[in-house]
Amino acid sequence: MKNLFRVLAVGLALSVVAVACGSDEAKVEYGAGVTEDTVRVGAIADLSGIFAPLVVQIIDAQQSYWDKVNADGGIAGRQVDFVVEDNGYDVPTHLEKYELMRDPDNGVVLLSQSTGSPHTAAIAEMLVEDGLAAIPLSWYSAWPDPAFGENVFESYSNYCYESINGVEFLRDYMASEMGNDSPTLAILSFPGEYGQDGAAGAKIAAEALGIEIVHDGEATVIPGADQTPIISALVEADADMVWTTINPSGLAGIMGGAAAEGYVPLWSGNVPSFSYLLLGTAVGPLLDTNYIVNSYIVTWNTEGVEGLDELKAWMGENNPDLPISDAYIIGWTEAMAAHQVLEQAAANGDLTRAGVIAAFNEVTVDYKGLAPNQSWGGDANDTVVRETYSYDVVLADYDDGATIADGGGTGTALLRGPWVSDITKAQTYDGACFKTGG
Amino acid sequence: MRSVRGRPSLYTSYEAETRLFPTRVQQVALGVFVLVILLMPFDLPVIDQLPVIRFLDENYWLKVVNKALIFAIAALGLNLLSGLAGQISLGHAFFMGVGAYTAVLLGGPDSGRLWGYGLPIWIWLPAAGIAAALVGVLVAPAAVRVRGLYLGIATIGLVFIGLHLSRVFPEVAGPGALGRKWPRLEFRIWKEEEPFLDLTRKGKWLWFEVTQHQKTYFFLLVLVALFAVVSANLARSRTGRSWAAIRDRDIAAEIMGVPEFRAKTTAFAISSFYAGVAGALLASFSIQFNPEAWDLLLSVEFLAILLIGGMGRVSGALAGTFFVILTPHFVERFAHWMGDQAEGEGLMSGFWDGFVSIGSGDFGFVSVSQTALGFPLPVAALDEIIYGALIIVFLLFEPLGLYGIWVKVRNYWKGWPFSY
Repeated sequence: MKNLFRVLAVGLALSVVAVACGSDEAKVEYGAGVTEDTVRVGAIADLSGIFAPLVVQIIDAQQSYWDKVNADGGIAGRQVDFVVEDNGYDVPTHLEKYELMRDPDNGVVLLSQSTGSPHTAAIAEMLVEDGLAAIPLSWYSAWPDPAFGENVFESYSNYCYESINGVEFLRDYMASEMGNDSPTLAILSFPGEYGQDGAAGAKIAAEALGIEIVHDGEATVIPGADQTPIISALVEADADMVWTTINPSGLAGIMGGAAAEGYVPLWSGNVPSFSYLLLGTAVGPLLDTNYIVNSYIVTWNTEGVEGLDELKAWMGENNPDLPISDAYIIGWTEAMAAHQVLEQAAANGDLTRAGVIAAFNEVTVDYKGLAPNQSWGGDANDTVVRETYSYDVVLADYDDGATIADGGGTGTALLRGPWVSDITKAQTYDGACFKTGG
Repeated sequence: MRSVRGRPSLYTSYEAETRLFPTRVQQVALGVFVLVILLMPFDLPVIDQLPVIRFLDENYWLKVVNKALIFAIAALGLNLLSGLAGQISLGHAFFMGVGAYTAVLLGGPDSGRLWGYGLPIWIWLPAAGIAAALVGVLVAPAAVRVRGLYLGIATIGLVFIGLHLSRVFPEVAGPGALGRKWPRLEFRIWKEEEPFLDLTRKGKWLWFEVTQHQKTYFFLLVLVALFAVVSANLARSRTGRSWAAIRDRDIAAEIMGVPEFRAKTTAFAISSFYAGVAGALLASFSIQFNPEAWDLLLSVEFLAILLIGGMGRVSGALAGTFFVILTPHFVERFAHWMGDQAEGEGLMSGFWDGFVSIGSGDFGFVSVSQTALGFPLPVAALDEIIYGALIIVFLLFEPLGLYGIWVKVRNYWKGWPFSY
């Protein structure tokens, strides 16, 4: 019965519209997830699991962005309804929430966020079945590979290419700032798709640049475990530079432990290894002098970025009490990508799910300086983003506990970027750097 | 022999007393219950109007119920070990993991970096249970030597050993944080291309269109019924009585001639078999599963299920599972529904607006638009608070769990109108 009513109601609405409207907007074709006056955009996010502190901020920024879009008149005259569901970083829950998103009657037209690698891999086949597009919150280098996820559209660069750029930057920095022309390298990483993808990139760079790897700690750092043996081995190896693909708490523990034994090399790592919140802890001064931050996107402190000024102006007015954070830029840019794709679809006159996928493959997203512009259509080797940013840590520019209204910074200053190493440029993209075999 | 007519509590034989459903009322109720659960995933006129059940023609709820059915199998297993035999185990997630990895090793594809034999489900699903049971037997001698809190701690160790093994063997578990794909719920005679029964695609059964969720639902329903009957029968067998004797006083049981070592070993083995099968099903149901998910929290969830449902009872384990799995979803949906009502134009919108907070400057205690922690509470945090509070409330006020509440309700109506 419910369905019958729904069909009747939709039919009635359509006939009314057909009679009443003759404007351009009525010509936009639409289907699941879009009605005459709303566009439903979904996010399956981790709001209560292990990544919740980060993802909550990302979602807050997305919500804020969509509020801005709605205030500016929406998409093709339709208001955006941003639907957020929590997966608790649990794969079965992710699948349950995906059922809500894929639903032809109450579902969404695209997923502007799908949190987590196994979670997104689990829905990858269904995304293709449903003709639904998703932006993953994961930067594994397998995502641009159509075999891995045809309808998964990764934002920015990936762990692997970031490592290549990062290691080359470290080498340059050692030469120019520290007078060391042949530095040695140590690699530390988590086991798995994140850690080992980052480590794979660092090794590609080391080989191409002729850097000796004196300690290969790929997959040796276990989250939450005792890091003493890692620190001993690292101190023993005595490398000039250390590349890490771990998390902030791991970084603080290992970096602090090594410093306590008198070992202070130049540290760096993939973006999730570092959090500006570490600057408020005891390792802050050490990070200030001996850490290079890498990133796919700009940080809160970056000057002269049009998109960032817009973000700060809007969130400053509408979310003044939220703490300042680098994470907002991820959420804001995810939403920017989804927004521009939807605008493209609307301009094509096709706001159906298929139209959105077509738009993904046509559009070049202009991040207004927040990240390197991005497109997805065509060969993955041509479209995969290779540019990243390298930042210096400036403790003096970090304001602990500042809100957006207070202003203040997250303690980083741009050294180079967006830039791409010649090695990264020369990489032929043919799937992930760290192959998992399925 | 049937009980005497009109005297349901008077039994004339031992056989009659140990029947699973001794009274006519219970048998009729069971019949109706079975009929309802068989029909409920369909969009049918009458059943569709029943409260709660009316949601079930929606894929989302059916998916949730399917997960609950898988959890029910594991909970039934832990109920045998912890509820009947009284052995507290925090290693249930480990045994589920053993089952899941046996399944993927036997049933998964072989792709160079990942090992797998691509065998059909009728091999990998039972093998998952058997492998877990064998590991259970291996662990039992260590577990028999300790009891109570010490056993709990010893079994926690298993979870960490399991997590470590998953890192040592990425060929089986897949890379950390990503995991690998599991064989699907589809039936083949051997390794042929087309499965003769595929539970993960929609299709046609007889004259009816059935979705993948409905197919999976019936498959799991049969399994749960099977496991529940076996477990209820075990409880009233010699083995079950020896477990109960050990639970109530292990030294006394041994003096009476109950072989403690053998009884505990069987309890571990059978309980692990349940866990192994449930683990394989859960991973297959999840399509892709990361090794970190077989963690302590999952083990604790099963203890919570037994605690809330009622220890030592099949019906308690089942009710507890559905309660624990479905409650967070109800809370979430209800919060979203309140949000919709508050935003709407209805008469009650002001009423609901008092509970939820939509924009900033609103004073409802649940936030449906903001996700940041703090006041108002985001829905995700509300879920966790309710979950924690439920465990405390049940421990303090109803140690027998939902089963205890049911007994009280039943006794009230039995004596009605003289219920005092």
